[in-house]
Amino acid sequence: MQTPAIQIKGLTKSYGDVHALQGVDMIIREGEFFGLLGPNGAGKTTTINIVTGLVFRDKGSTKVFGKDTVKDFRFTRSKIGIAAQELSVDWFFPIEKLLYFQAGYYGLTQTEAKPKIDDLLDRLGLSGKRTSRLRQLSGGMKRRFQIAKALVHDPDIIILDEPTAGVDVELRHDLWQYLRDLHALGKTILLTTHYIEEAEFLCENVAIINNGKILKEGSPIELTRELGTAGISVQLGHGEYDFDSVLKDFSYTQNENKLHFSVKDPDSAMPKIIRQLSKADVHIQSIESKVSSLEDVFLNLTGKGINE
Amino acid sequence: MNWIGLSTLIKREVGRFFSVYRQTVLPGLISSGLYIVIFGFTLEQRISEIQGIPYTLFILPGLIMMNTLTNASANTSSSMLQMKLLQQLPDLLTAPLSGLEISLAYIIGGTVRGFVNGILVLMLGIILTDLTVVDPFGTVVFIFIVSWAFASMGLILGQMTESWDQLAMMQNFFLTPLSFLGGIFYSIKMLPEWAQSLSFINPIYYMINGIRYTILGVSDSSVSVSFWMALILTVVFTSIAILLMQSGKKIKQ
Repeated sequence: MQTPAIQIKGLTKSYGDVHALQGVDMIIREGEFFGLLGPNGAGKTTTINIVTGLVFRDKGSTKVFGKDTVKDFRFTRSKIGIAAQELSVDWFFPIEKLLYFQAGYYGLTQTEAKPKIDDLLDRLGLSGKRTSRLRQLSGGMKRRFQIAKALVHDPDIIILDEPTAGVDVELRHDLWQYLRDLHALGKTILLTTHYIEEAEFLCENVAIINNGKILKEGSPIELTRELGTAGISVQLGHGEYDFDSVLKDFSYTQNENKLHFSVKDPDSAMPKIIRQLSKADVHIQSIESKVSSLEDVFLNLTGKGINE
Repeated sequence: MNWIGLSTLIKREVGRFFSVYRQTVLPGLISSGLYIVIFGFTLEQRISEIQGIPYTLFILPGLIMMNTLTNASANTSSSMLQMKLLQQLPDLLTAPLSGLEISLAYIIGGTVRGFVNGILVLMLGIILTDLTVVDPFGTVVFIFIVSWAFASMGLILGQMTESWDQLAMMQNFFLTPLSFLGGIFYSIKMLPEWAQSLSFINPIYYMINGIRYTILGVSDSSVSVSFWMALILTVVFTSIAILLMQSGKKIKQ
């Protein structure tokens, strides 16, 4: 079996009386786009901060490509690029210089770093701002700079902690596309987010974390199939109908003139339902389908929405 | 050793204070110039000589030392605290840099600032007075050792403190009084006996006297005692700063 890019076993961490992590287990394969999904305070940032060396672990193990993140920190940290949630501030140097410093910390000379920095500034739309200080950048530009900083040493694993928190829709979609491009290049990506659609759109696998515990892990499709609640609602026109016989193969509930069908795949079920209801001469006033999402999965697992 | 990482962080630390030289280099020169003109030239008319040395020349080594140690410690302490408060520290702590490398880079950055400031005040003294340095090599060595020692001490303070208020308190209630009580403006022989005894436990007293000897050829304490005290202090402060950084106790959760 291939060595996982990141392997976390039995990880615990407490801050005083607060048990931030209560035995987290997680495996992220090389080349995988993995999402750690959970509400604020669930333990996402603590988990990645332990992997990157910012926070001490209490118990358990954290390995990157099979090496311990404490004992072999030089190896493991050189493999990871992290874009933290908190934006840093620097008053002294232009952003291009800050990228050269960042590359230097990872052992790259200025000559080695130059093509990478030029490419990143260009790709992230920061070329025109290379001599600007961080305080002169807009919020979106700061977020892009944060990502450039994570990528400057060309890491195999990219960890992004809430990369699109507080950015506008257009930039969010630009960043999503960029992350997909990076993934296509073979990078392993670990993304923490509390945006459901972000995890659904980008991640091959997600782990749902709440109160410091991983509740469920799998691909978004698998999870929604297993724990989602898709449905079709049909509003009937006024009248007396007898449709029990034609709908005997469906699971549905009736509330006055409204029928609600529980289905796994609304797209394929909807034509069948319409066909059967037509057989019974039912007048359909309106019909709507509700596609299952990770939000439903989260709701089923925790009993509350992710942003509650 | 991550040599490129180490040299990059040194460049950052040195570049940081040079980029704001109006805050980090010029003030020491201006205040030292004022001390020489106001304290030296005016008081010289009343205090003619101490240990056979004109008063203006007598205070010059103390001014060099005060400028050196305040700048060296301010560089490391403020830079470390700033990194903590402005969320820059994670950039270093997630990079493949060891606690030793981070500490050394900070200490070297602070040493350069202390050294540059010390040498500039020495040059200012040479320009403003008719000073001839007795032992130029010894003077440079002393300025360097004291810069290193106090850059290390500043790094300890920067790691230990959590706010500018705490840091200012340490500097104002600890460093400044020790500097002034170390004999910048006077010979401790001018003090009552009990105050002289107190001076012997003040490490800055030995540093001021050490450099006074190398510059003027006179001092209250023996030059070898001053040298060894400075060296011991350097080793102690450096070791604590590095061990604290390696433990990560004050900079990680």
